[in-house]
Amino acid sequence: MLDLKSVNFDRILRRYDIQVESKESPEDLAARMVPKDPTLKKVAEDVVFMRYKTVNDDVTAALREYSPEDVIEQGLIKGMDVVGELYGRGIYYLPHVMVAADAMDKGVKLCESKIRGVRETRGKVVMHVAEGDPHDIGKNIAAVLLKSNGYTVVDMGRDVAISDVVTTVEHEKPQMVTGTALMTTTMSAFPKIAERLQEKNINIPFICAGGAVNRAYVESYPLGVFAAKAIQGPILANKVIEGFDWRKLRENWDKLTAVKE
Amino acid sequence: MVIKRYTKMEYGSPDEMVFGESKYPVSYGLGQVVGAGVVVPEINFAPRPGAEKNPESLRREYVDYITKDILDRAVTLGFPTVQLENEHIFQMVNEPQKYAKPVVAGQKELMQKYYDEYNIALSIRHTLADPRLAEEGLRPGMDKKHNYPEKCIQSIEVAAENGADLLSIESTGGKEMADYAILRQDIRGWLFGVGYLGSIDMAWLWPQIVDIAKKNKVRAGGDTNCAGANTSMFLAGGYLDRDIPRTFAAITRAIASARTLVAWECGATGPDKDCGYEGPIVKAIAGKPTSQEGKDSHCAHADLMGNLIAQTCDMWSNESVEYHPEFGGSSVQCWLGSIGYEAALMNTAKQLKQDKLLRDLYMATDRYRSPEAFILAYDNAYKIGQAITEYGNDIYMRAKAAGITAARLIEDENKTGKLRLSKHEQDMLRKIITDLAALPDEESKFLDQCLKAYKDVPMFNPRNYDL
Repeated sequence: MLDLKSVNFDRILRRYDIQVESKESPEDLAARMVPKDPTLKKVAEDVVFMRYKTVNDDVTAALREYSPEDVIEQGLIKGMDVVGELYGRGIYYLPHVMVAADAMDKGVKLCESKIRGVRETRGKVVMHVAEGDPHDIGKNIAAVLLKSNGYTVVDMGRDVAISDVVTTVEHEKPQMVTGTALMTTTMSAFPKIAERLQEKNINIPFICAGGAVNRAYVESYPLGVFAAKAIQGPILANKVIEGFDWRKLRENWDKLTAVKE
Repeated sequence: MVIKRYTKMEYGSPDEMVFGESKYPVSYGLGQVVGAGVVVPEINFAPRPGAEKNPESLRREYVDYITKDILDRAVTLGFPTVQLENEHIFQMVNEPQKYAKPVVAGQKELMQKYYDEYNIALSIRHTLADPRLAEEGLRPGMDKKHNYPEKCIQSIEVAAENGADLLSIESTGGKEMADYAILRQDIRGWLFGVGYLGSIDMAWLWPQIVDIAKKNKVRAGGDTNCAGANTSMFLAGGYLDRDIPRTFAAITRAIASARTLVAWECGATGPDKDCGYEGPIVKAIAGKPTSQEGKDSHCAHADLMGNLIAQTCDMWSNESVEYHPEFGGSSVQCWLGSIGYEAALMNTAKQLKQDKLLRDLYMATDRYRSPEAFILAYDNAYKIGQAITEYGNDIYMRAKAAGITAARLIEDENKTGKLRLSKHEQDMLRKIITDLAALPDEESKFLDQCLKAYKDVPMFNPRNYDL
């Protein structure tokens, strides 16, 4: 093998990741963002620091002082907001988000068991992977992010027939529907779904994403709004709840998605 | 069929390995020889959306447009040899007689014409999509909704009977577990999913593919852990990405090599599939030819080892490109130009006996670009191969050994050398080493541990693996 000792590798590659590595710690950021109340603070920190084992005890303690809705909104979701911020700043990685979401989910389930009736969430999203496509990791990530931002997710799974998507949207009446595909020949289900939804006078945004999917393609059919990354799901959903329709989402897409790439 | 496990290295030292040469060259197709002194460009493609509308529109796209464009450009540029790779789309697997048969037969008919007229060495790899869904069942009789396990085998037969020269698949056994584990940075879960369950699934699938190949007098190439280690690699991404640490991706690649080897242990001959970046490790072990992709596959995805991965390849590929027009012709013509000229460079180096110099130049440019590139540098790939063969008969222990060896290589180089890791990459590496070191040495204990720990993982069904 060639002797590589004399090679100046700085002339060959530059480690931008190390150059821009954040010096801020999760603890610093959490200290600024979590609630001040000690009981809710504990709950939020369980989520931020992924304390799956203690979240139930701390939520139980918080439920003695606060309503289940407040524990969810002011404790668990606040904690998840910190996690989102840490992820956006490149301090946390995706698995941190997933494990934190598991902790939050555990706490939410406990709170929900104390609520009479059904908890009101920010909105409902129907999600699916295109027919013939088994690649669902992106959809699963997006589902976790939407749930952890307070949305109800109806997860239809992968390899879902066009007619099933349309029927489910009709039945569930969500504010938004999503579809993901890895392949060029499975994403062609999306315009067909959009057409069938419009035939039924359903005009909700249809967020489309995945390996082979691109913005130009998604904007070639009605309802379609492109998402480049899973983290853009909650950003687009929040705007839908604010009243953005699919046309307005498209018009503002660059501005909206520039927040967190 | 008896599975012959590798318990010793076919190469005596890492320096014996170089591109364009393998211990066991393979001949097939229309005058094609792989691994015998020439690097062969392998061009891969995907149809445009909508081409799947009906069997005739799909045939026209694949045969009249894509295949013809490729063959014309190969002759135009004077390439002596080309392999096509057709990765089957869902419709071709779901209804193989209707959608796949006319495509496979049409491509071969056209290739034969060019072979007869120009004597250009030609072959085609048909890579079957693995449509099986863990939640429905991976074995025949289990999936009552789609019959995907049966259709998967049927589509391989249709390809072999109608013109395929080389059969490959990107099998997905264990993916449900690997996907779960990757998003939680759980290296034990990933080892269980790909190293263990994936190896079991391949030991069921590959003897069937080898039998079909033999029956039809074609070659069984190999598998790739595209569904697992490439998912890790893509999520790890480049320097702006923060989805998973690149140290995790590197270790998954090493573990994946112990699983990818199973196809060859079942009798497949190679060349292995291009997107299996674990190629340098499995080639070091088995001496069979591999196809690789790197800088000329950026039409499909980015990677951090665009040059390095060419170091020991026998075929050089573009991974896949959607058919569309470019200034220089169609996309398949343009990317064939890139891979064909790169192969010409490698083959010139061989003629001038400078191939080992070029190999080292490829390797040096990316050796420190990422931990995954570092462990795939041929000297390190060889060491991981040695760790696998030491436990060759034990699918669990060899996968674990591969992971630990890769982790130690990265740890040592980070301490003393030029491979710099971010803080999070270092933290993850330490966790991986701790987690792997804590695993038992007995397969039965590991299995008991995992079946208990992962019983509630969505879509995981031990029956899919006869467990």
